[in-house]
Amino acid sequence: MHIVVCLKQIIDPEVPFHLFRIDPVAKTQIRGSHPLVISSYDEVAVEVAIQAKERWGGQVTIVSIGTKETIQSLHQALAMGADAAILLCDPLFEQTDSFGKARILAAALRKIGDFDLILCGRQAGDVEMGLVGPFLAEELGIPCATLVANLVSSNGKVRLKRPTESGYEILEAPLPCLATITNDESNVPRYASVKGIRAAMRTPIPTWTATDLSLDAAALGQEGRIEIDEMWIPQREIRCELIAGESAEERARNLALRLRELGLV
Amino acid sequence: MASILTFCMGTRSSIPRSGLELLAVARSLSQQLGSVPVQALFLGLGVREHAPALIHHGADQVLLADHPCLERPEDEVVLGITEEVVRQLAPRVVLLPHDELFGGHVGPRLAYRLKAGIVTDCTGFAVQNGDIRWLRPVYGGKAMAYMCARGLLQVATIRSRAFEPLPADALRTGEIQEIPIPEAFSTSVTVVERVEAAEERGLSLDRAEIIVSGGRGMGSAEGFSILHELARVLGAAVGGSRPAADMGWVPHSHLVGQTGKIVAPKLYIAVGISGATQHMAGAGSSKTIVAINKDPDAPIFKLAHIGVVGEWEKVVPPLIRSFQEMRS
Ligand SMILES: Cc1cc2nc3c(=O)[nH]c(=O)nc-3n(C[C@@H](O)[C@H](O)[C@H](O)COP(=O)(O)OP(=O)(O)OC[C@H]3O[C@@H](n4cnc5c(N)ncnc54)[C@H](O)[C@@H]3O)c2cc1C
Ligand SMILES: Cc1cc2nc3c(=O)[nH]c(=O)nc-3n(C[C@H](O)[C@H](O)[C@H](O)COP(=O)(O)OP(=O)(O)OC[C@H]3O[C@@H](n4cnc5c(N)ncnc54)[C@H](O)[C@@H]3O)c2cc1C
Repeated sequence: MHIVVCLKQIIDPEVPFHLFRIDPVAKTQIRGSHPLVISSYDEVAVEVAIQAKERWGGQVTIVSIGTKETIQSLHQALAMGADAAILLCDPLFEQTDSFGKARILAAALRKIGDFDLILCGRQAGDVEMGLVGPFLAEELGIPCATLVANLVSSNGKVRLKRPTESGYEILEAPLPCLATITNDESNVPRYASVKGIRAAMRTPIPTWTATDLSLDAAALGQEGRIEIDEMWIPQREIRCELIAGESAEERARNLALRLRELGLV
Repeated sequence: MASILTFCMGTRSSIPRSGLELLAVARSLSQQLGSVPVQALFLGLGVREHAPALIHHGADQVLLADHPCLERPEDEVVLGITEEVVRQLAPRVVLLPHDELFGGHVGPRLAYRLKAGIVTDCTGFAVQNGDIRWLRPVYGGKAMAYMCARGLLQVATIRSRAFEPLPADALRTGEIQEIPIPEAFSTSVTVVERVEAAEERGLSLDRAEIIVSGGRGMGSAEGFSILHELARVLGAAVGGSRPAADMGWVPHSHLVGQTGKIVAPKLYIAVGISGATQHMAGAGSSKTIVAINKDPDAPIFKLAHIGVVGEWEKVVPPLIRSFQEMRS
């Protein structure tokens, strides 16, 4: 089975809010000195793909719309166990919304050709629209399973595990299909091994441009249907009442008393 | 006139709160756009008797699909019906709950198929010169944005608990119309098995007045058991942050946050949780947030109302004892 994972590189989403800055004119986060990382659900998707390869064989390819700096995240995915990675990079790709992103990925998937399963994150860890995965399935005209955590079997069709409110359900889908990935205890991303990192650095990563994908401004531009109008950082600090006390035990007792005084317990 | 269309999946026993929240959004939007009619598509099995309640909460017309195939429908069945209804009614705005079914599946695919603009996970809106600007958090809630959906039709998925349902007005009148359901829908992705978890999951987060939540700082499943004890004396439900859920210390259905449950209890006690915005997005509407954390610089002390600095190993046991003493 050939699994393709769509991976977005983002600015570390764990940056604490007091260090978080945006550019209100460009309406996007300012990078500053924060690291770039694989969007968290995409890292989970890489893990799911590699687990499937370990169980049933096949290969894993990563595609990402990004910049030269994205190569570092592609190396990381290769080091985790992916076989190949492709960077989709072109100035035309930058100012596009989720429709445009899906169109670019669809063109790349058609060029790859022989894929069986596409995995996307349930939502990117920055803008978080949660649209690109289902859009891509529609764009390619293939079935779409959403919010699944793992594969449970694969032979001509795939069975997928989807967590539910009260347990989980097993979905069956024909191939090729696309799944959006959510996290659970079965798919916590692995660390790359030293051997994996060495091999990854030697794997060449081709770059495909708009020309390679036969895409032009018209094909990407006309889809502009989501506009970011304004962006700002809300004021959210609350004055926290710290419970006093010499020892932890005394603070605990004072907390209980305070909560009773407030009528909360 | 092109309407505002809301969606609701009901059950025999109830209408989900989200269905009523959408009607509150629709009414306010209708007023600001100039008396646009509000239609509600109401799906489920055995839901007919609840249809008038949707009128009482703000719908001008209810389109009812009460059918056995809608008891626990596949995503694609709901997508198929939704697409059909939206094509026929040609509304101006479609409002969907931002849940797994509509936010994660039906909304995006519907928007793609109908060439509609879409904004997901909205927490508010503003109307400016007849245009709707959808308010939504971005960057895990560290920033807010106004986004516009371009197209003749626009779809918005609405975050749960971002709006309060309108009080029921039993004098409101409106039409209830049954809509036909195609006999058989072919689906490409099918549910072949449903497994209910065997373990005891405790009180559900949705209903609890008090929630005790633990994070990575709890260190282990054993660490978590003390939170269950605290929850027992308080009659509280137990939740957790993403690391806690990933580690299997709490079931994923008890994950609190932007990608888990959005809760609004009167008291939320966060233990060993750092206060990431993605977590607080799910807990931030709690009336009172209490943080117990060993690090006085943890971000949660800027987001909680009451804080205790200390290791949970030293704070939680005497806290449980104090509550027990208060009881007796
Ligand atoms: C300069 C600039 C201008 C922008 N202008 C707009 C605008 O006008 N309107 C607008 O809506 N957005 C705009 N954006 C943001 C936009 O590009 C979003 O990143 C895009 O809409 C995708 O949405 P998302 O990140 O929320 O992805 P989601 O839909 O949440 O992503 C879901 C999944 O899709 C896949 N995926 C997403 N992005 C990529 C990628 N780059 N490569 C590979 N796989 C991917 C991943 O698997 C991901 O987990 C702009 C961004 C920049 C930098
Ligand atoms: C797109 C996206 C969506 C996300 N969605 C969610 C979501 O829905 N819900 C969610 O929770 N997270 C979510 N996250 C993850 C989130 O960003 C944080 O990583 C996560 O919430 C951190 O969990 P934590 O506070 O338990 O762990 P940490 O940040 O590691 O914090 C642990 C805390 O425990 C304290 N501690 C350690 N030992 C002790 C002790 N003995 N006593 C007391 N305190 C102690 C530490 O001081 C620290 O503050 C999401 C992330 C992304 C990118």
